[in-house]
Amino acid sequence: MRKTKHPPVFWLFLAPVILAFALVIVIPFLLGVYYSFTNWSATARLGDSLKAVGLRNFAGILKDPSFTYSFILTVVYTVLNMIVINVVSFSLAMLVTRKLKGRNVYRAGFFVPNLIGGLILGYVWQFIFNNAVPSIGTMIGFASWADAGNLLLAKSTTATIAMVLVGTWQYAGYIMVIYVAAIETIPQELIEAAQIDGASPFRRLRAITLPLTRQAFTITIFLTLVNSFKQFDVNVSLTGGGPSAMFLGQPIYGTQLLAMNIYNQGFKSNDMAGGQARAVVFFLVLVIVSIIQVSVNKKREIEL
Amino acid sequence: MKKLVLALAALLVTAAVFAQGITLAQNKPEIDAALKAYAAVWSKANNVPVTVKSVGGGTGMDLDSQLKADLAAGDMPDIFAINGLENYKEWADLVLDLSGERWVKNTSVAFKYEGKVYGYPVAVEGWGMAYNADILKKAGVDPKTLVNYSGYKAAFQKIDAQKAVLGLKSVVSMAASLDMGWVTAHHNFNSLLSNGLPYGDLSVVNALLAGKVDARRLSEYADWVELLFKYADKAVLTTGNYDAQVGAFASGQAAFLHQGNWTDPNFAQAKVTFPMAFAPHGSMARATDGIFVAAPSFYCVNKNSRNLAAAKKFLNDLVFTEAGNKYMVLDAGSIPAFSNVKLNPTGQLSRSVQAWAAAGKIYSWNQYYFTEDFRNKTLAPIYNQFAAGAVTKAQFIDLMTKAFQGLAK
Repeated sequence: MRKTKHPPVFWLFLAPVILAFALVIVIPFLLGVYYSFTNWSATARLGDSLKAVGLRNFAGILKDPSFTYSFILTVVYTVLNMIVINVVSFSLAMLVTRKLKGRNVYRAGFFVPNLIGGLILGYVWQFIFNNAVPSIGTMIGFASWADAGNLLLAKSTTATIAMVLVGTWQYAGYIMVIYVAAIETIPQELIEAAQIDGASPFRRLRAITLPLTRQAFTITIFLTLVNSFKQFDVNVSLTGGGPSAMFLGQPIYGTQLLAMNIYNQGFKSNDMAGGQARAVVFFLVLVIVSIIQVSVNKKREIEL
Repeated sequence: MKKLVLALAALLVTAAVFAQGITLAQNKPEIDAALKAYAAVWSKANNVPVTVKSVGGGTGMDLDSQLKADLAAGDMPDIFAINGLENYKEWADLVLDLSGERWVKNTSVAFKYEGKVYGYPVAVEGWGMAYNADILKKAGVDPKTLVNYSGYKAAFQKIDAQKAVLGLKSVVSMAASLDMGWVTAHHNFNSLLSNGLPYGDLSVVNALLAGKVDARRLSEYADWVELLFKYADKAVLTTGNYDAQVGAFASGQAAFLHQGNWTDPNFAQAKVTFPMAFAPHGSMARATDGIFVAAPSFYCVNKNSRNLAAAKKFLNDLVFTEAGNKYMVLDAGSIPAFSNVKLNPTGQLSRSVQAWAAAGKIYSWNQYYFTEDFRNKTLAPIYNQFAAGAVTKAQFIDLMTKAFQGLAK
């Protein structure tokens, strides 16, 4: 590897960023790793001083079925979410890059949900699923929509799908913007040439648009992957981790994703160190998955 | 640049002023406005700024999470609320011994541990089965029969048969979603722990904590839970939140409500006019003539507060000044925990709690002898599974038994 020597002024200009990065990312991260090997509680228990406990917290993770469940659920949720968001936002991007009337209004409209905070959004959708849908159903003659068993949030499986729906609604507009930017860089003459050659719209999509937007896919898949994996606010406000599900003969929170599992372990169960240990595992998994994803996608990109 | 310096200076000055004040962190959002108004008046009179932080209710953030963040930030409040023994243990290192305070003599429900007083009782609260007296009358049910399982079963069946005539959606308004775990795994759970026992009797609690389960008591309790779930509106039961649950009762769609007297302000807001009161829980085959009454939370004074005198005075003034009494009882609508306070709250359910307490027919709150972790993470999903019909009563009993046996390890 080539080594570049930077002048001191380079570091001077970089200093504010490095300082901020160190203060809010690097130092807390290292502290967090340290705490995961201790009995830290974050409260003020009597005669309870900070002690190193070795790997006890990590052993505790293995014993807790709720973590395993959250892990599996998060993987399922991430895969579903990644596929649905990308399909939806790519389709939206294709639509709004056509010569439509008022396409800027559509672009803005699809993007707006992204500007609403996830917590508020979760509560709004909870109201829609629990109250609006049954009321509308009763009004238009589908009384079964109001049956308790048919409510999306009443079962953990359908509640997970509800989370994907809301996640897509929130995030598709943002990803769409990235696709729009990528699609607009495709040289018009390529498409025209293909048209003259008699290529069908589907053929043009497969042979021109998709290969030439690969770079965008690297970014969007990475963003949706990481964001779905870290999903927290919509999870908390929409389902609150409920309803329950049976796992390994034990009733547990049925829609609790990993981030919420970590939060609850730390704050609700008064086990900060245990939560921190989970966060470390979470971090490692996320790093490995992201590296694999980016390196696979990078190989497929085409330089113009 | 000058403006910036001025702004910074102003910021520093305000920060300095606030540093001398006291901060109170409490867990009842419903009294937030009243408390802030009172605190503002008190601040002016005593020249001590008071900051009130209200955290709690609903999903997500709770007071303990906020306190952890505050402690880590070196910004621990001067006065903060706890709800009982397990919660006290988390903060014991910071809690000041208040045994010498003037208000201690005037209350019987202060938080005590090993003979010392650590917590100022915020109020007295109670719950039983709140009933709509009009509906019961129309249905021909005498509330006096509601003292045990068979009494409730007969009443529920009778009302259920007349649902259409009475305009009811369901007999009981009950919530059992995981978010509402505090209704099932905290309040309802307490029926198992203290119903029918002398006030303060911890025999059942201690046996369960040791993993020893009284099968008969648990099975009678399971009958009660089953009865409540069976006659509840399934949509409210499985997906409803607090508003949905209380709203169903307030709008006359349910004859009974499984909540406590803290719902009074909600009824005032909804302009509810029908008469209501509490009946005992029917969690046992034998009659248990009493409801669950205790102090729901306690103010603790932070040992390391830089303004101990002001913090102590704030608490004393609540009890010994007219303005303090007025705030507690009339503005916050709570039942005073102090014998010298002569005012009475206006809410119907609060009055019902007072009536039961005056008659001495009360059972204690023992759920706080179990950790938050156990109640929320282990018990709440069990109730939720039972409510959703995913497990049978036999499985419910089995899961509960296993949960208690798991505690002993």
